Amino acid sequence: MMASLVYIVGALIMLACGVLLLRGYVRGRQRLLLWSSLCFFGLSVSNTLIFVDLVMLPDHDLYTARLATAAVSTLLLLYGLIWEGGER
Amino acid sequence: MAQDPISPKDVDSFILNEVDSVPHLEALLILRARRPQSLSTAEVASHLYINEDSAASILQDLERRGLLHSMEGDPNLYGYSPSEELEALVKQVEITYRRELVRVANMIHSKASSAVRDFARAFRFTKEKPE
Amino acid sequence: MINGFLLGVIATSSVAVGVIFLKFWKQTRDPLFLSFAIAFIVEGFNRASLLLVEKPNEGNPIIYLVRLAVFLILLIAIILKNYGRTKSAS
Repeated sequence: MMASLVYIVGALIMLACGVLLLRGYVRGRQRLLLWSSLCFFGLSVSNTLIFVDLVMLPDHDLYTARLATAAVSTLLLLYGLIWEGGER
Repeated sequence: MAQDPISPKDVDSFILNEVDSVPHLEALLILRARRPQSLSTAEVASHLYINEDSAASILQDLERRGLLHSMEGDPNLYGYSPSEELEALVKQVEITYRRELVRVANMIHSKASSAVRDFARAFRFTKEKPE
Repeated sequence: MINGFLLGVIATSSVAVGVIFLKFWKQTRDPLFLSFAIAFIVEGFNRASLLLVEKPNEGNPIIYLVRLAVFLILLIAIILKNYGRTKSAS
């Protein structure tokens, strides 16, 4: 119960980060913010999937999906930081 | 209506906060030198020896910061028509830049890129208090 | 196998992301980047620790408590950026 609460809070925080970064991207057009916001949206989805998984107890089918979304999201952020983190 | 004198700290603050790169500063100073005449993206590009796309993005950045404005009829034409305070500041910035070229260039280059600073700025949702 | 691989990808890229944020902190001195760096590095190690657990399960208290700490670090960083005492430039 406590665990699922943690993950839903996490999903919301990740969502907030994504929204703030997307807003920043719209304002400044810096691609780093676009990649970062996608990462946080993805992490939000990943945490939501964990929440769903924990709530629907016996069902561990979502495990690979959860890991895959987290992996792709973090890789997107890494890509963004490497390519867009310097001056144009 | 006397204006507060511009301190070196104000100049450095401006450079740290508003100047993304040396070409950005040069573009601003060219338009200042030519005012009230406006210049096109192509003209700025040839003055700075950069390609037109780079010039365009530099001029757009400067416009977004409120340092330049584009002309109504033609968005590729840019002009410098500052407020009194801004002009006083930019004038001091130019004097400092011409006199201490290496120091100013080093200061600009050691900054994190504008993308990184934008990342940090994105997380502000309250108004910044004037210092 | 695939799950172990994915965990490895997440752990490594999280730590790498954290290290890059450390570099940004060094450049800008903005504590926001330090918080993000800590958050991602800790999360990277947290994920790696799942490999030591027999039945990987995010319901495990240690795992989710560390995750909670990471979320709180990020939340506090954002709050401090907006309401902290030293509201210095950007």
